[in-house]
Parts: sequence; structure tokens; C-alpha cells
Amino acid sequence: MREFGILGINNRIGRYILRQNKRANYPLVDDKVKTASRADAWGVPMPENYFTITNFGDLKKLPQLVAGMSSFVIKPANGSQGNGIVVVSEVLKDEKGWITFRRSSGKIMNMEEVRHHISGILSGMYSLSGLPDTAIIQQKINMHPVFNDYCYGGIPDVRVIVHSGFPVMSMVRLPTKDSDGKANLHQGAIGAGINLKDGTTRNAVIKNQVVETHPDTGHRLNGLVIPHWQEVLELAARCYDMVELGYLGVDIVLTPDQGPILLELNARPGLAIQIANQAGLVPRLEKITKEGPQGLTAKERVALSQSWF
Amino acid sequence: MKRLSSWIVGLLFLIPTGLLVYKSQVLNLSLIPQKVDDVWNFYISVRPKDPAATSVAFPIPRAGDGLKISEERIRGKGFDTLIDRNSDSAMLTWLSKEPMTKRVSYTARIDIKPVIVRKIDKDTTTVYPRQIKKYLKQPVLAPEEEAAMKLLEGAIFEGGEDKSLIARKAFYYVHEEIQRNVKFKTIVDALSSGKGSPLIKARIYAYLLRRKDVPARIVAMLRLPLITDAPTEKHQITFASEVFLNNRWIAVDTNRGHFGERPDRYLVLHHHFEEVEKTLAKSKVAYTIRADRAVMNKFNKEEYRKDVLRKGSFFAFISLYRLPLPVQNIFNMILLIPLGALVLCLARNIVGIPTFGMFTPILLTMFFKETSLSFGLFFFLSVVAIGCVERYVLDKLYLLAVPRMSIILTLVILLLMIIAFTGLAEFFGASHIGYFPIVIVTAFIERFSIMLTEDGMVNTMKTLLGTLVISVLSYSLYSVSTLEIVMFTNPEMLLYVIGLLVLIGKYKGYRLSEFIRFRDLIAQVKKKGAV
Repeated sequence: MREFGILGINNRIGRYILRQNKRANYPLVDDKVKTASRADAWGVPMPENYFTITNFGDLKKLPQLVAGMSSFVIKPANGSQGNGIVVVSEVLKDEKGWITFRRSSGKIMNMEEVRHHISGILSGMYSLSGLPDTAIIQQKINMHPVFNDYCYGGIPDVRVIVHSGFPVMSMVRLPTKDSDGKANLHQGAIGAGINLKDGTTRNAVIKNQVVETHPDTGHRLNGLVIPHWQEVLELAARCYDMVELGYLGVDIVLTPDQGPILLELNARPGLAIQIANQAGLVPRLEKITKEGPQGLTAKERVALSQSWF
Repeated sequence: MKRLSSWIVGLLFLIPTGLLVYKSQVLNLSLIPQKVDDVWNFYISVRPKDPAATSVAFPIPRAGDGLKISEERIRGKGFDTLIDRNSDSAMLTWLSKEPMTKRVSYTARIDIKPVIVRKIDKDTTTVYPRQIKKYLKQPVLAPEEEAAMKLLEGAIFEGGEDKSLIARKAFYYVHEEIQRNVKFKTIVDALSSGKGSPLIKARIYAYLLRRKDVPARIVAMLRLPLITDAPTEKHQITFASEVFLNNRWIAVDTNRGHFGERPDRYLVLHHHFEEVEKTLAKSKVAYTIRADRAVMNKFNKEEYRKDVLRKGSFFAFISLYRLPLPVQNIFNMILLIPLGALVLCLARNIVGIPTFGMFTPILLTMFFKETSLSFGLFFFLSVVAIGCVERYVLDKLYLLAVPRMSIILTLVILLLMIIAFTGLAEFFGASHIGYFPIVIVTAFIERFSIMLTEDGMVNTMKTLLGTLVISVLSYSLYSVSTLEIVMFTNPEMLLYVIGLLVLIGKYKGYRLSEFIRFRDLIAQVKKKGAV
């Protein structure tokens, strides 16, 4: 494995995460509320946060708060791996006039179920540390039409690994029926490696297995061109300046109207991206460590990365 | 950075090694307390009484049933020696071309374990194999002896008893009704006076049984001193019995009152005394038998404590032996925790086995150790079942998280009650259940049910299995009693553990599990490379 430059967990933690990511900066990425305010200050586009819920008492006001909304997403502020996220694609009224919610998967949730879910978030059920958490009610993002034939249920996102501000590897995560519409590779979403130079997908895998076509839509997975590719990479590169973490996973979604926007940041990005790209991270990370010049702008760093990888 | 950690690791290994060497070489302390097990240095010397004799034979202990013999040495210059081992006993014969004038000797190190048969079933055997038949042979008795035996037989047995009961009834009679007294040496004397020598008691017992067609024999043996007794210079041969029930020989001692048991200080020289009676006759052979306790092996902590304190060095101050006993017992157990952590680190960071939380496996191991492995597993799996209840039942009630966890906790208490009522703990060999399970449960159950929700059954079960595997692994490590005592005696060895942990912490190579995870990737990349 070493000769193929595959990055293992111990190496990732010991050489990159512990050395390059300052513990003090973690809250900036772990807490989505903090990420959002930082992003706001830096002019990095993110989904709009409608409101947050911190106290159990606020749960009573939920019907008023969601009144007039047509769709939204519930997220734990300190969640990970997409756990605890509920996407409401439609707010409905049943025959008795009660508010109910249709989830992106099609399931209907009533008000009590939503409250229960949010109270679970507040108790820390989904938070990284298990401590009490805040729930974020966020704008639901619409899918860019280019992905219509590549997704089942949820919305895909683009993960870029950024080392010292240089994008080094990227993939797009496409939800499947198995993954319950979530863009989570552990749960069976597709990971498709992206060529940094031109933003086209090349290899795709589901849970370590190479796949040619989407299991639900049957569409070929190679050769998909990610729209706004340059902007995606520059956005990712700018996130380094924003949170100053040397080894960073940037999750970006493409919207039909706003272009690429930042979904979330990850200080401990996974290693599956190597499988999706059929390539090891180590040589790329080493090249940046050894040859990556200091003091470049995000745009310059992206250009350099694209010439290298 | 690299240099710093090498220095630290080096020190962490050097310091305890230095301390250990100092303790053992300079202070002359052994690194673990001695065992006070019954290991004996055994010595027999023999000389034939007849000055013209050219050979002499003597029984020697034979390995088997509770006896381990090592370092056997036979002395006698210019003699041929011959050991005749039959199924139960061994006879050593020294042969010489000239008359024997000097003593010859035999030495060995002998480890004696008690031989105990707890359950003796009814025995109604009628036909015995050939090699057993000789133990049914009736002795030639004088008419008055024969009459006395017959009378006794009629008095003890009612008729219709199975052979085990016969053996027991005869035992009770000979043990309780005939007092031990070396002066009474014939059957008639013993039966009329109610007193008899060990040999005559053994004889009466064997003959009684044989009359009822139960194979029995007289055992020639040594009774070695207790550790509290004054050491005995020379040992005399004494006698006990063995009775053949349910196809095995069962030890009986009508002199000291053991039935189905031979304690670990009874050293059998020969299992069939009648066969060697003539050889051992006082007129034939002069012998000396010595047996000294070879202090080596159960650990004698008390002795060690005295030893450490007597040396009065720095080590007397840092030795755990100077603490009060209850505190010692706590340390005995918790000194193993770092070793469990070491196993955990190896399993997680080098092998890549998933576990629930970081320390659940260690807590679980402690729980196993405190109760028993089977009970621990049973309890743990019951808790897993409760975790599933939470997932599939309580989830439907939409309860707030803290009350829900509290319900689970209460269910665990109920489980403990059920266990107490049904005697399940005793069934699995657990001595007691403390507060410990509750601690483990709080550490574990919450993570378990969340994982079940988020990662699905398969991943959760993998993690569960990983947790159990690591716990059982460290449990087996904890079960090595020598390890426990080594750690307790030399707590400075914890520095080794830290050193090893630093090394594991510096490990940046692949985890074994990653070879599986990236297997397909490697295969793909290789294929591409070939094209």
C-alpha cells in the first residue's frame, strides 16, 4: 500500500491532523453555527440559517416558527457524517388542519415527531462529543439539474480535500436508495473521483466496489462534468484561509441559482476519497508539504494544484 | 521531535529495567514472591542388611495421579540400576557384582497435588479385568483371625449394599472404631482392643472389602509435614488404602479419616504394599527417607512483604506490600488496567478493530474479572437486548433523551434483581455483583442504541463483536495469575506500558484492517499499471 501512496488512518491522524490542525480552530468547523458566522464574515456563501433552537422551551414555538415555510433542513450544529439531518421538502396540512411534513424520502412526519427529533439533537444524541447541542433550521438546497440523472432521493455534494490551502483530491458523493438519500459513503452512497484539472468524474465506487452505472438510475457515472468547477475549487481553497486548518475536508453543494455554496467543513475527513479516485493521497500531500509555496492567493493555489494533479 | 520521543521511550524502558536489576541483583529480592506450593526435595538412601547381598530394591514415587517428578538422580557408583515400573508403582533396584557395603541413594524433586474424587457413584461391578483380580485375593489368615473377620463382616454389613456403600461402611468402622495405636499389630489384637497400628488398620480395611468382593489394596506412603510443623529429619513409611470403585482407584485413609481424598502432603511410595512387604522388611533393608519443602512456587505474599520491609531500602517505601490489605487487593486488580489499555490500543490502532467508545472493553474486562467470564457475557448480552428494546420500543414513545436513558438504567436494575432471584449469577459461577455493571451500562448502552439507529444493525454488530473480542482477549491476559503478581510486586513495570503506548502512539503505518479496506483499490491500481 505504501508504494501506491495510500494514506492510512494512523498516518492521517499523526502526520496531518495532529500536526496541521490546531485544536483551537476545531469549533469553527465542528460547530455549524460558528462556521456560518465565520463564513458570513468572509463572504463565503452557505445555506441560509432560518433560525436555531437551543432550549427545549423553544420547541413549543415550532409551529409558529415553521409557519409559512415550504421546505427546510433540520441539522445538529455539532453533527457528523450527516447523522441527525432531516430534510423537509414540503410542509403540508392534513385533513384536520394539523401541520405535517414530507421528508425528501417521501415519509410523512407529524409535528410531534419533528419535535422529538429536535429534542434528540438538543440532548446531544448526534453531537460529536455527546454534549447538549443546538439544532439549526436551515434553507433546503435545491439540486442542480445536472445531477438529475445521478441521484436518488437527496442532494449530492462535492468533497474537496484541502492541504495548506491547496486542493489535492476531490470526489462527488451521489445518494442512492441504499444510502437512504444521504450523501454518506458509509451508508452506501456513490463516491465518484473527480479530475481536478477539468472537473469530470472518472471512477466511481460504492463501499469499496467499483461501479460503472448508478444502481438506481442506471446512468453512466464516468464523464459527468461538475458545473462551476473552478469556482468549486476556489471556494474550497478559500476555506483554508477562513479556518486555518492545514488538513481540511470541504463539502460543497451546487445550487441551480447561487452556484457552489459551502455546506460544511470537516477537520477529520475520511479516507474513502482515495478509493473513489483510485489513487493514494500521500504523494499529493507530500508534494504540497515539500513544494507548496507560501503566500499565494486561493486562485493561484488552485491553478498550481490543477497543474500538478 | 523524533529524537525526543526516542529519548522518552528509551528512558521509559531503561528506568524500570534498572530498578528491576537493582532489586534482584543488589537487594537480592526475588521479582515475585515465592510460591508455597508443595514441592519437595525428596531423598532416599538404602543399604541391604545382609552384608553379602549384591542387590537391593526399594519403591520410588511414580509420576501420575497428582505427582510430578523431576530432576530424578540415582547415586551408586559402580552399580547397575534398574527401574521396574508397573501400572501404579515403581521399584528401583541397584545391582552390583560385589557385595554392597555402601549406601545407595535416589533423589528427585516432587510436586504433589491433592487427589480428590468428589462424587462416588454406586458401583455394582461383578467382573473385573485380570490385572485387578489380584486385589481381590484373600489373605491366608489364622483360624481365629478368620473368625474375627467374619464376625466383623456380619456386624458391619446388612447385605445388599452396593460396592461404594460397602467401601464407605467399612471406612467408617475402621476409621472410628479402631483407634490408631502402633502397639497393636495383629488382626485379633486390633479387633478385640479397638486399637491398631496404621498398617493393621489398612489391612483390616482391605481384607474386609475383599471379603465382599471389592478390590482393595494397602498403600505404602509418607506423610510429609505441614509448613507449620517442625521439619522432620527422617520419615517413616506409613499406610493408607485404596479401593477400586467405578473403574478407578480411590484413595482412602482410615488412619487420618480421608475418603475419596489424598491431601497434597501424602506421598505414595507404593500402591500395593503386600507385593513389596518382604523387600521392605526391617531385617532386609535399612533405609533413610528425607523430604524437604523446596520453597518455590501459591505466592507467599506475607513472606515477601517481610522480606521487602527488612531490606529497608527505597523499595520498601514504594512497595505496594506495605499498604493495608484491602488497598493491596484494589491495586492487585487495577494494576492490570493499563495492560488492558495496551491490548485495546493494539487492537484499535494496529489491527483496526472497531469498539464502542474507548474504554468500554476495559470496563467490560474488569467486570468479567470481578464476576466470571460466562456471567459477564450473559449480562452484557442481556444489556444489548435492553439496548434493542430502547431502539425498537422506546423510540416510538418520543421520550426526551435523559428520561429515556434513565428508564434503561432502571431496566438494568430490574435485570439485576431478576438475576438475583433466579440464582443466575451462581449458575454462571459469579461470586457477587456490585455496582460495576451499572457503570458499564451507562458507558455503553447509549452509544449502542445511537449506533443502531445511525449505522444500522450490521455495523453495530461488528462493533459489538470487536468490543467483545477485545474484552475476552484482555480477560485471558488478566487470568494469568503470574502476570497479576508480577505487576503487583514490580509496579515500576507500568513505565514499560507507557513506553509501549508511546510507540503505538507514534505508529503511522497502516492498520491491518486497512489492507482489507483498500484491497480493491490496490487491485485496481495494479491492473491499471499493467495496462
